[in-house]
Amino acid sequence: MHPILSITGVSKNYGKLTALDGVSFEVPAGAVFGILGPNGSGKTTLLSIILDVLHADTGKFSWFGNTPQTNNRKQIGSLLETPNFYHYLSAVDNLKITQAISGRGNSADIDRVLEIVKLSERKKSKFSSYSLGMKQRLAIGAALLGNPDVLVFDEPTNGLDPVGIAEIRDLIQSLAAAGKTIIMASHLLDEVEKVCTHVAILKKGTLLTAGPVDEVLAQEDIVEIAASNNDALQTIVETMGGFSKIKKHANCLQLFYPIGTAQLDGINKYCFDKGITLQQLQLKKKSLETKFFELTND
Amino acid sequence: MFSLLQIEWLKIKKYPAFWAMLIIVLLTYPAANLMFYNVYLDITTQKGTQMLAKMFLGNPFAFPETWHTVAYISSFFVILPSILVIMLVTNEYQYKTQRQNVIDGWTRGQFMASKLMDVLIVSGITTILYTLVAIGFSVYASTFDASKIWEQAYYIGLFFLQTFAQLSIAFLLGYLIKKAFIALGIFLFYYLIVENIATGYIRMKAEKIGGDLGRFLPFEISDRMIIAPAFIGRFGKDIKTAYEKSLAEVPSQIALSLLLTTAIWVLCFFLHRKKDL
Repeated sequence: MHPILSITGVSKNYGKLTALDGVSFEVPAGAVFGILGPNGSGKTTLLSIILDVLHADTGKFSWFGNTPQTNNRKQIGSLLETPNFYHYLSAVDNLKITQAISGRGNSADIDRVLEIVKLSERKKSKFSSYSLGMKQRLAIGAALLGNPDVLVFDEPTNGLDPVGIAEIRDLIQSLAAAGKTIIMASHLLDEVEKVCTHVAILKKGTLLTAGPVDEVLAQEDIVEIAASNNDALQTIVETMGGFSKIKKHANCLQLFYPIGTAQLDGINKYCFDKGITLQQLQLKKKSLETKFFELTND
Repeated sequence: MFSLLQIEWLKIKKYPAFWAMLIIVLLTYPAANLMFYNVYLDITTQKGTQMLAKMFLGNPFAFPETWHTVAYISSFFVILPSILVIMLVTNEYQYKTQRQNVIDGWTRGQFMASKLMDVLIVSGITTILYTLVAIGFSVYASTFDASKIWEQAYYIGLFFLQTFAQLSIAFLLGYLIKKAFIALGIFLFYYLIVENIATGYIRMKAEKIGGDLGRFLPFEISDRMIIAPAFIGRFGKDIKTAYEKSLAEVPSQIALSLLLTTAIWVLCFFLHRKKDL
């Protein structure tokens, strides 16, 4: 089965500034693919290239196993960077233009998506009268027109209040559950971790890692242990070996093992044999935030 | 192409500036022509000279001369649809919809073709208004003679071409500059001041520089497709000679207008295909 999107060696420079440097990865069908990176890491540049708004200097990409074609973009619902609409037109009139250009949906569908993004009551108001959050929701509504199988969202929760953020998260989860492929750039690591199945992390235009979330995060086993006297526990554990590093963390110690090598029962027995009873013993999954900072901090 | 036209109509039909332009043109074309008509009436009703003046001037607002006279007078007001065209293209940058249209599925070529449609639509509407004013004036100012309606009706085509050529220059400015106010400022400054001074200066120096090269200036190229109406050439030998020379240059001015307008659009399509949006 072809990947939905395949990116190979894409580079983009703005003068001396390298915005993207040989980025390659694939987005499998049905994935919720998060693209993460600090400001200026190249997320929006990458999305702009795959949506044909920017030209790549080198490299190539293909949608649905084909080379770039107009009709490919018509099958993709996209929100790139900011909500872009005609300010003097209403939500309905703007969506009519989106519909006419993309060929996605019909007039009944316009009402459907406006209902989803909760703009039905203001559907005849001019776009210029909308708040930032309403504009963002209209852009999401436009992307949903025609119920496309592939969606590209660049910072979809920008400008939304906490309730709006939760609603969009639920929406993305329901779209993912319906088998849609979603490519999403975001700063909000917690949001991405909640909804994404795959992730790519960019820093200064370079791809640091990409793949299924579990694989990206689980490059190390982290075992958290605690006893009544953590200093004594650390002295004992340091004689045990097997782990790559040890770190004090809040009220416990963290032991870092190569993936799949941590043996909880062995740690427990070793400590017990040395006269220390563990009050905490837990194999922790690394949070996306931890991994993100680990990769992106200099 | 028809779908591009439909989509552009969706964008334009609720754009307030479009209707404002239409109303202003609707008022300006008849008003300006009425002003000239009153001048004509003043000259031809003065005691003692009325017969002479009528003999020289004929009736420039009767068929078939009305096509020419109204086209010439109305062409001074191309500035009104030009402002609209500049607004239509700079809006796409201001709202970033030039990106969104491509994201939604248009090719860059389709986007530029849609803008070409805009300029064609505005040129077409302006030409329709001109046609109605020309017919209206003829009915108002003379005894209606249906047999002469089509005699000089080719001025409809010339008026359309002139409007399209000049709106294309306005479009190019808007497209390259992107900011509405800067583009409008440069357009007005060039159209109203720079080119007029340059044309006058070149005409003054015509003998030294080997001819009236002012006819190659961007707006003059198409301005000189519709020369001042025939009655102006009937006063004095020098003016008559100049009139006949201008008349002889009309075919080459048409060819130059077509060439310049084609070059403008080829450049726009090329740039839009190559540049980042």
